[in-house]
Amino acid sequence: MALLEIDDIHVFYDNIQALKGISLDVEANRIVTLVGGNGAGKSTTLRAISGLLHPRQGAIRYDGRPLAGLGAHDIAAMGLVHVPEGRRIFGRLTVDENLLMGAFTRRDRKAIAEDKERMMTLFPRLRERLRQVAGTLSGGEQQMVATARAMMARPRLLLMDEPSMGLAPMVVEQVFETIQAINAQGVTILLVEQNALMALTIADQGYVLESGEIVLSGPGRDLIDDERVRQAYLG
Amino acid sequence: MSASSPAVALPSAPWLKALKRLNAVDIVLWALRIAVLLVIVAGTIGCVVKGRYTAAQWVDFVVFGLTIGSIYAQIALGYTMVYGVLRLINFAHGDFVMTGAFAGYFIAVPLDQSGFLQRQPVLAMAAILVVAIATSTSVALLTERIAYRPFRRVTGLAPLICAIGVSFFLQQTFRGMFGSAVKSYPEPQWQRAAFNVFGFNVPRIDVILIALALLFMLALYLIVHRTRMGTAMRAVAEDAEAAALMGIDVNKVIVFTFILGGAMAGIAGVFYAFLYKQVYFFMGFTPGIKAFGAAVLGGIGSIPGAMLGGFFLGLVESVGPALFLDGIGITAPYQLRDLIAFTLLIMVLIFRPHGLLGERLSKKRA
Repeated sequence: MALLEIDDIHVFYDNIQALKGISLDVEANRIVTLVGGNGAGKSTTLRAISGLLHPRQGAIRYDGRPLAGLGAHDIAAMGLVHVPEGRRIFGRLTVDENLLMGAFTRRDRKAIAEDKERMMTLFPRLRERLRQVAGTLSGGEQQMVATARAMMARPRLLLMDEPSMGLAPMVVEQVFETIQAINAQGVTILLVEQNALMALTIADQGYVLESGEIVLSGPGRDLIDDERVRQAYLG
Repeated sequence: MSASSPAVALPSAPWLKALKRLNAVDIVLWALRIAVLLVIVAGTIGCVVKGRYTAAQWVDFVVFGLTIGSIYAQIALGYTMVYGVLRLINFAHGDFVMTGAFAGYFIAVPLDQSGFLQRQPVLAMAAILVVAIATSTSVALLTERIAYRPFRRVTGLAPLICAIGVSFFLQQTFRGMFGSAVKSYPEPQWQRAAFNVFGFNVPRIDVILIALALLFMLALYLIVHRTRMGTAMRAVAEDAEAAALMGIDVNKVIVFTFILGGAMAGIAGVFYAFLYKQVYFFMGFTPGIKAFGAAVLGGIGSIPGAMLGGFFLGLVESVGPALFLDGIGITAPYQLRDLIAFTLLIMVLIFRPHGLLGERLSKKRA
């Protein structure tokens, strides 16, 4: 049984159908990526999984449990954590407070302090910036805060929406290295990216979305070699 | 028939165009600025020249301004916190203040008649405050649950109109239950005495109310900035969706916000009643609307802004009539203190809608 199973979901914005029957599986401990053009439904898929949107039809099961009817905060508390598009850190809170909010569902103070220490080892820059208001950080640092904040929840499955967006090429590389490092610690990753080549390179499994439907799927490396993917997304 | 001469070609330099386009509005706004400035300057000069007020009177004005300002500040905190998390102007908040004052009244009177209020001021005041806080907080929570939650996802004016409806509902309910007469609040002996500060007599009740208000506001500040729920409240105020993705139950945070705001309203209600020695069903309206002005003045959504705005408004409306209005020869300046308060609110809305420390009132939540 896969950690996350999506079975034929249909999602609408008012009367406009954004997802037309998406089915996909995310196996535990893998990196799975969704690639596709603008408006293909990548973010919508993540938003439906994390409970921000509710499918009109179809089912989403996490760890065997159906997620229908649960609020976004309930789903986050189950260890399914979504790092939204644009990072959405709390700009008026300090870096420390952002990390604390990541651990909101947890009560184990000692383990929270340990995890914070681990995050500052993973991102040494954050240690210097701990008391700083997060809105004043650079884009790359804000991405670190967003990732560290999500990791503070001790997720089993991390949904990441465009983590490389708006970052300098060197920083983008660091972001992808971080994703692999997190995955190596046993966190399953579902990654949405515009940067299809990078995403497919690190992914075990890839899905190609086009106007709300999955048009191709397979191991990441196979998709990179696929002629249609090359033409459409890799230039 | 066409006119004999062609239309006069106007020079069309960009600065001239800009000048032409903005003229009408600008003139009115500048006239307003200058008029207010003139009143302030001429009034102050006139006041100094006439020298009608003694130093002791000025101290009275300032102390009263700080006292009423501390009450406005506490009420303004409720407006600003609810606006922060819901982007809703809770026009019923002034009536939460009224419910607290009424509840306090019903325990203050028997405590006064039995002599307990006189003999045990601390215990008696604590009891009055507890009852007032419990009542106003319950009313705030019921309002949130019944009237505001169904409007959570509704945009536009409907939630605001609902808030005004709740305000009328509370006023008329209290009128129906307790009558429309003004009831006088007890005035124990210890409140009437005066402190001597640098040779000036300062009413003891004013000192007590200011000190307690500062204490409660410090407590609120620490709750909002040092606790887990307070931090979650600030997170929700900034980005409710991102907060939900972190596992924060936004509904619980909103309830928490109404508890804090309701408690501050209850405290403010008791203080307002002890200051003016009276309660009646409509008493929440004026301080409510003024405290809303104070919240806007400080920058709605900003907690330090609400405190600052409250004190500032209190001082201006207390010192203003003597300083600005008496000086230009207005015969009954104290009748116009509300005018000063509302002129200040209108000026802020026109010239500085984001207030001293906060965001623009018109900014919509994404």
